[in-house]
Amino acid sequence: MTIVRGVVAGAVGYVLGAALIMAIRAASGAAAWEVESVTAGAWLFALTGWLLGVGVWRYWARPWFGRPADTYTTTGWRRYFDFDTDHKVIGVQYLITFLTMFFMAGLFAMLMRYELMGVGEDILNSDQYNSIMSLHGTMMVFVAVAATVGAFGNYVLPIMIGADDMAYPKLNALSFWLVPPVLVALTASFLLGGYDTGWTGYAPLSVKNDVGGLFFNLAFFSLGLSSIVGALNIIVTVITMRARGMTWFRLPIFVWSIFVTAILSLIFTQFVGLAMLLVILDRTAGTVFFDPASGGQPLLYQNVFWFYSHPAVYIMILPAFGITLEMVSHFSRKPLFAYRWAVGGLLGIMGMSSVVWAHHMFTSGMAEALRKPFLASTELISIPTGFIFLSALGTLWLGRIRYTVPMLFALGVLFNFLIGGLTGVFLADVPVDIQLQDTYFVVAHFHYVILGGGIFALFGAIYYWFPKMTGRMMNNRLGKVHFWWMMVGFNATFLPMFILGLQGMNRRIADYTPGLESANRAVSMGGFFLGTSFVIFLANFIWSWVKGPPAPDNPWGARTLEWQIPSPPPHENFEIPPIVLADPYGYGEPGSVHADLGGNGRSESLEEGVQA
Amino acid sequence: MGNGDHSTTSQTKDRTHSDRQPGRLATVAFIWLLVTVLAEITVAAIEWQPFAASREATISDDAFNLLMVLATPVFTFVIVVGGYALLRDRHRGDDADGPPIRTSRAFIATWLVVTTVLSVVVIITPGFTGLDELRAEPEADLVIDVRAERWSWAYRYADSGVETQGNLMLPINRRVLFRISSTDVIHSFWIPAFRIKKDAVPGQITTTMVTPRKLGSFDNQEEMRVQCAELCGVGHARMFTGVTVVEQDEFDAWLAAAGG
Ligand SMILES: [Cu+2]
Ligand SMILES: [Cu+2]
Repeated sequence: MTIVRGVVAGAVGYVLGAALIMAIRAASGAAAWEVESVTAGAWLFALTGWLLGVGVWRYWARPWFGRPADTYTTTGWRRYFDFDTDHKVIGVQYLITFLTMFFMAGLFAMLMRYELMGVGEDILNSDQYNSIMSLHGTMMVFVAVAATVGAFGNYVLPIMIGADDMAYPKLNALSFWLVPPVLVALTASFLLGGYDTGWTGYAPLSVKNDVGGLFFNLAFFSLGLSSIVGALNIIVTVITMRARGMTWFRLPIFVWSIFVTAILSLIFTQFVGLAMLLVILDRTAGTVFFDPASGGQPLLYQNVFWFYSHPAVYIMILPAFGITLEMVSHFSRKPLFAYRWAVGGLLGIMGMSSVVWAHHMFTSGMAEALRKPFLASTELISIPTGFIFLSALGTLWLGRIRYTVPMLFALGVLFNFLIGGLTGVFLADVPVDIQLQDTYFVVAHFHYVILGGGIFALFGAIYYWFPKMTGRMMNNRLGKVHFWWMMVGFNATFLPMFILGLQGMNRRIADYTPGLESANRAVSMGGFFLGTSFVIFLANFIWSWVKGPPAPDNPWGARTLEWQIPSPPPHENFEIPPIVLADPYGYGEPGSVHADLGGNGRSESLEEGVQA
Repeated sequence: MGNGDHSTTSQTKDRTHSDRQPGRLATVAFIWLLVTVLAEITVAAIEWQPFAASREATISDDAFNLLMVLATPVFTFVIVVGGYALLRDRHRGDDADGPPIRTSRAFIATWLVVTTVLSVVVIITPGFTGLDELRAEPEADLVIDVRAERWSWAYRYADSGVETQGNLMLPINRRVLFRISSTDVIHSFWIPAFRIKKDAVPGQITTTMVTPRKLGSFDNQEEMRVQCAELCGVGHARMFTGVTVVEQDEFDAWLAAAGG
């Protein structure tokens, strides 16, 4: 019902916006209808209409005009399809939406690997391949940027800091409901023939391509709005909503990682919004930002784009670091080793992430003098990144390691990111990068970082927090099968891609020279193996959600706050606000208690701890 | 399990563990050395790069190989230390927690020093030294204007005014300066066998230099090709032509025949 209202209001918005733009165009002597100009302008009205219709008007904006807000009465499963302000509902909304997007983009990857099995064009022509490749990249980037932060930053973070919700619950709902328009724009782009620029959308190609390209710009722009709003909410929540006694250095490392990620998101997302906007204006309003014939500058796009998109790599990977360290501590039954250095590593990465972007542009024709400083800054960022490994290794050492499914994924992140990180050192070296830039070496490298790191951590987090979110356990054996299947498939796919890059295969091509065929066939086989691993996951995920055995409050015996309350948590999370006494990593420390939950009394082990 | 107080058990375990520490460290160090030596031998035995045919290719390949030598012990360190802990320190049925080791001054200090030194070393060499080498010979014997256009390459030999399309002819052991431009979108001028790559940006002339060191052509070596490396639309994958390197006299004859 809510969605219907949103769609109708969005359509009304589009029509009103289109009428306005067409009137302006007619008044200035141009033909009234031109699909791109009209749509670009009307998009803003459609977006506003959608948001108003989907709930902003009824639950939020009516009081601004002296009317009472509607009372929110939705219950049960319908809440997931409504403008619900409970952070736990929004977390699930994010998770399901972006998992769906992940599997769609994964299917596109399967198509690409099928096409690349042999020389020549088999099932896709170059044009179709470019579209599928571009959509795959765009959607996967969206997933990597928003899935973990949206799902677990929303669901778990407030509970971990002892809060009853996010600081701005309505803003939180708004940031989620900005996502469906992103899906609409991507679908529209696909139906209108797609776009051929990859997710990077370099101008001037992105200014000249077909109408599908415009919808890519609108999708990225809208997702950016959602990210900025969500990031602001997380930052305020962590600063102001921490329970009594939850000092900065008692925060779970996962909370730190999301907090730092949100700061990056808040600062840098506007730059990709700007990059998209400049392209939209060049396409529709006759501006010439990227048209050299009129004094424009194509490299401007790359600078603005990478000024966001390098920090975005850390937006994708820092939550993975947080999840990994969290599990390594809880499942090694040891305090997180060198906690402050790990936090320092996160902050160090944040601080340096804005001064490395031009390593994506070493061969772009930028000033030669900039090569050395960007080479140096990029190599130096490996120092704070190393702190994550310092902390993980020190925690594992002498631990009582429990090989649960989430722990396996955390270890997978460490292994995969090690390869992703080390190959990054190669790519930062300019003489090497000149050869490897825009080859499959780069493709392999960033898949090791984003898929091997970010997405592995996302799946680890799903296995870890699923019992809390659903009140049911996932099947352990299927989880282990999924992990090993995915881990083997992942490495079988992307290790040979490094070789492909070294052999001279450039990226974003549907066809290649014959010498590259055998390695490509191997990569495709690995890719199909990787792809099928998710069937196991999906079966387990869906079956367990419906029929899995009931989960205890604290199936992992972990110490953070979310495990001290029922599974799934009640609406207000805690009966009374908890009081935090120490950090959550006091494993093996006699008498150490993370928090006093007062009269809650649901966690027997905690009561024991308090009495002792 | 978990939150309860396991003071007695964990303290006894703790003591035994710290007694075992020196022995463990020596074992791990030994395994690490052994694995690293084996890994370095393997890395050195593998031919990582394809056909290399220019001065620049040597610089780039040397840098890659040096980075492999430096990255290998880092990789093996994490794998061996982590792997050792994963095998030896697995949970064995009791509910005890591990020893509450929160920090170790010696380990952290060593880590900091080693990673910082490694990063700085990598910046200096092969980073800065490689870049300096690439720029060391700025005088060109031959200047070629490269024009990229969707989806073909056109060449103009600046001195003789000869214009060609398709195969790119070059003399061996001569310093060549490419002046690269594009008439439409961004392309990238890449010759895999030479390890050179520079984008062709509309409205801008970009340059790159190379000294071919080996004879050869696309017919014998797939890497001897000018390949567009920046996505430029539907014809991107097939935007490549061969590169042929010949002796100077053969090149002169070819140039004269082509109208120079
Ligand atoms: Cu980057
Ligand atoms: Cu191209």
